[in-house]
Amino acid sequence: MAKRLRAWRENRELFLLDLAYLAVVTPVLLLVKAPMLLFLLLVLVLLLARKRGSAATLLLVALAGLFAIFFSIYGAFNFAGLSRLKLFVELILYLLLLAVSLQRLTRTINFYLLVSPVLILALSLFFFDSIAMLVYVVFEVFVLLWLILAYRTRADALSSLRVTGMLFALSLPWVVLLFFFFPRISFEHASYGFRGDEITRTGHDGTMRMDGAALLVPSERIVMEVGFQNAMPPDGQLYFRGSVLYRDKKDHWEPLPAYVRRAFAPKQRAQEGMYRSADDVTAYKVSLYPTHKKWLYLLDLPLEAPEGATINADFETTLEKPVDEPQHYDAGSALVYRYGDRTERTVLAYARDVNRSANPRSAKAADTIAAANPDPKQRLNALLHFFRDQNLTYSLRPEPLDLNHTADSFLFDKHKGYCVHFAGSFVTLSRLAGLPARVVTGYKADRKNSVKNYLAVKERDAHAWAEVYLGDHWQRVETTAAAAFIDSESAELLRQTGTLEDNGERLTRLNLYLLYVKYQVETWVLQYSHFRQMRLLENVKQHPALAAKLAAAFALIVLASAALFLWLRRPRCKDRLLCLLRPLLSRLQRSGFAREEGETLHRLFTRYLDLYPGSALTEVDRLYHRLQYGTAKEDAVQFKKAIRAFLRESTAKGDSDARKL
Amino acid sequence: MNETIAPEFRPLVDAVEAHLLGKRHAISLTLAAFFAGGHVLLEDIPGVGKTTLAKTFANVMGLDFGRVQFTGDLLPSDILGVSYFDQESGKFVLKKGPIFTQFLLADEINRSMPKTQSALLEAMEEHHVTIDGKSHDLKEPFFVIATQNPHEEVGTFALPHSQLDRFLCSFGIGYPDKEAERAVLLGGGSRAAAAVPLMDAAAINTAMEAVRTVHLSPALIEYLQSLIAYTRDSGRFVYGLSTRGALALAAMTRAWAHLHGRDYAVPDDVQAVLGEVCLHRLAFKEGVTTLNRIRHELFSHVPADA
Repeated sequence: MAKRLRAWRENRELFLLDLAYLAVVTPVLLLVKAPMLLFLLLVLVLLLARKRGSAATLLLVALAGLFAIFFSIYGAFNFAGLSRLKLFVELILYLLLLAVSLQRLTRTINFYLLVSPVLILALSLFFFDSIAMLVYVVFEVFVLLWLILAYRTRADALSSLRVTGMLFALSLPWVVLLFFFFPRISFEHASYGFRGDEITRTGHDGTMRMDGAALLVPSERIVMEVGFQNAMPPDGQLYFRGSVLYRDKKDHWEPLPAYVRRAFAPKQRAQEGMYRSADDVTAYKVSLYPTHKKWLYLLDLPLEAPEGATINADFETTLEKPVDEPQHYDAGSALVYRYGDRTERTVLAYARDVNRSANPRSAKAADTIAAANPDPKQRLNALLHFFRDQNLTYSLRPEPLDLNHTADSFLFDKHKGYCVHFAGSFVTLSRLAGLPARVVTGYKADRKNSVKNYLAVKERDAHAWAEVYLGDHWQRVETTAAAAFIDSESAELLRQTGTLEDNGERLTRLNLYLLYVKYQVETWVLQYSHFRQMRLLENVKQHPALAAKLAAAFALIVLASAALFLWLRRPRCKDRLLCLLRPLLSRLQRSGFAREEGETLHRLFTRYLDLYPGSALTEVDRLYHRLQYGTAKEDAVQFKKAIRAFLRESTAKGDSDARKL
Repeated sequence: MNETIAPEFRPLVDAVEAHLLGKRHAISLTLAAFFAGGHVLLEDIPGVGKTTLAKTFANVMGLDFGRVQFTGDLLPSDILGVSYFDQESGKFVLKKGPIFTQFLLADEINRSMPKTQSALLEAMEEHHVTIDGKSHDLKEPFFVIATQNPHEEVGTFALPHSQLDRFLCSFGIGYPDKEAERAVLLGGGSRAAAAVPLMDAAAINTAMEAVRTVHLSPALIEYLQSLIAYTRDSGRFVYGLSTRGALALAAMTRAWAHLHGRDYAVPDDVQAVLGEVCLHRLAFKEGVTTLNRIRHELFSHVPADA
């Protein structure tokens, strides 16, 4: 094995080429389908077995490759939308891999074998659009450049690595400039996302299930990331609206029937005057990970739908198709709002609909409250007081409720539940008391998960709350706030994931900062489009300070790249002993004993010793020459000691000289 | 690190210096060349002590001394010797020439014809001579100091480059400094008692053997090779150092290190002998070739300890 490895390394050109292929094919392995993977494995085995590529072998391999391609793309002939481009690129990639494999088996290098690594790299860019890939592409480009240099100049690996580093350092400012002025070509849906990002996010779905048998584990997985244009809104306003539910189906709640929604959709849009002034509009940008549902989540209350989405009468924002790929959208919301004065009767009828016989105890209580409080606002307050008085406990693992009498069961028997039980029961109670009410589900973000103006919304932020109609507008009611206790088990669960106490606070913070950086890179590098460029230039025009900041940042980059270049170009320390001597020589230079042209170290030391006889330099001089030129096998420890002794001595001397002055 | 001459050799240098005041460096170089097993070319004007140096040196080292004054009509046989027919014995008998000695002073070597010059130079290289087809070994050690007058050109035959290469090193003695000249004028130098031998054959052999085993570390070899490469590649010289020149540099460096009591050589040793080893081997393409110019050119372009 070792012998083969050596033989492989000895054929330098093939060795370098194989390294290049190793670098570019690695990410592609995540992408290719199983048959193609098997084919690549077969080629690898043949290469390791050192089979000469005889005509028969090559023919068989070619056939195997064609079969592999066929099976890989079999069933993928869905020529709808983007998948056509994806399929086309995939096919080209497979054919390229086949051609390269065949050529590599012949063990001769030809032009396309040399060019293909770059092609494979370029093709793989079609499939990946993530930070991991960004970092890897930079790495790949570096490795390819290095291998090309090593191949063309025949220099040793280390010196070509240095030259590669120098080229990279020089190119840095140019890359930044070109990147700034020539953004990525942005075509719709171009981003496929890193494969890791394609895992479905759960949390909110269109309905709300009341059967608490399902274990609710607070998940830290990010659902969406939000970047606010200005300051972060206060905690009480971070409600991301998902769906609005009216119909109590015992074990779950449902939205309005589709035909009702359709009938009112266009009529009730956010209107001027609904929010106080234009200044109250909060602008932000959302990156939503695939949920495979059609909802987009906007802050309560959304004013403008992102492109391709619609906002309906209940201010649900939905897309035509489910979110299967990461979505990035700009949005604006009014966080201080008041709306609903023109709510349709039909909708209100749904919001009033309640089965009095299902929850007799709640109905009785509601009647009492309704009789005592004719004013809707007072009635709502009384209801909340009553709700609070029931000593309800927030629990992530509640006992199952009796779903035929959900509200009664929750309020008077079990007293335990999580947000859906609180919201569902309160809506029932309101309706029993004659107030139209509905459940809203979505995400209630936590400012703990924010850095500056970046906010991460996690699965465990999924939430349900109530909205009560007070005659002229809808009022949001945070029903879970009525919980008097939190049970110890849930507290423990929450603590484990770092929600409650500052246990693991620092780690959570660090993780959040990493998310923040990732988000910034995604926003400004991966999704930097022509549009973003225009907006940036517009900003620069308006704020000269920003222009100065950008110029300063660029100057910093230029400086950094120059520094890196010079550092790489610095004279290399070939000799260990001379390396050790460096601090000593610079000290001598500072005290006026610079090395003259053609002067040997011994003569330099002698010059110093003539002036300061008895210096520790005598020992350095002796040891250096013995170690460097003598036969004695003395170790360098003594030498280092002597150098340190001299440095101490000269420091002391410098001090005393200074005192004399 | 020791840069003064080792105690064992100091009496030798002192003894020669008693007759040639203020010329320690020339004496040390001669001694080094002798220990390195090479020959010396003294290039200087008459009357600065070339002959004194040779004679005293031979005395101090306890060597047989022979001297040939080269003239325009000197024949090879005048140096090597001839076979003549001895009528008494009825046999050819070899009458050995002055070359059959341990220490030969070849005075004003450039005055003789090339044929004669090359006879000497061949003997210097081979350490044996061939007379009438019979080979005769020379005495060991065999050491030649040849002198030539650089300024007299009429009636001289300049040694060709190939012949010059056979001398290990070449230098002048130069005028004495003021102090030394004053001592000479006051009757120091030549008035000193005749030099007595301080070395014998065994001691010389030991010293020569020790010189051969002086350690050249990889770092030093690197320095030597950089110097040699510079003479060849810089384009400043008509031709670079030959391999024989490189060997000469290494041999002189070793001898110089040994002379200073070390069993390993340092760059200072190389720098001490480099000019003298190169002076007759290198010629600048432009301008005059002098010892100092060669030193400056090489030292400043090929840094030591780097």
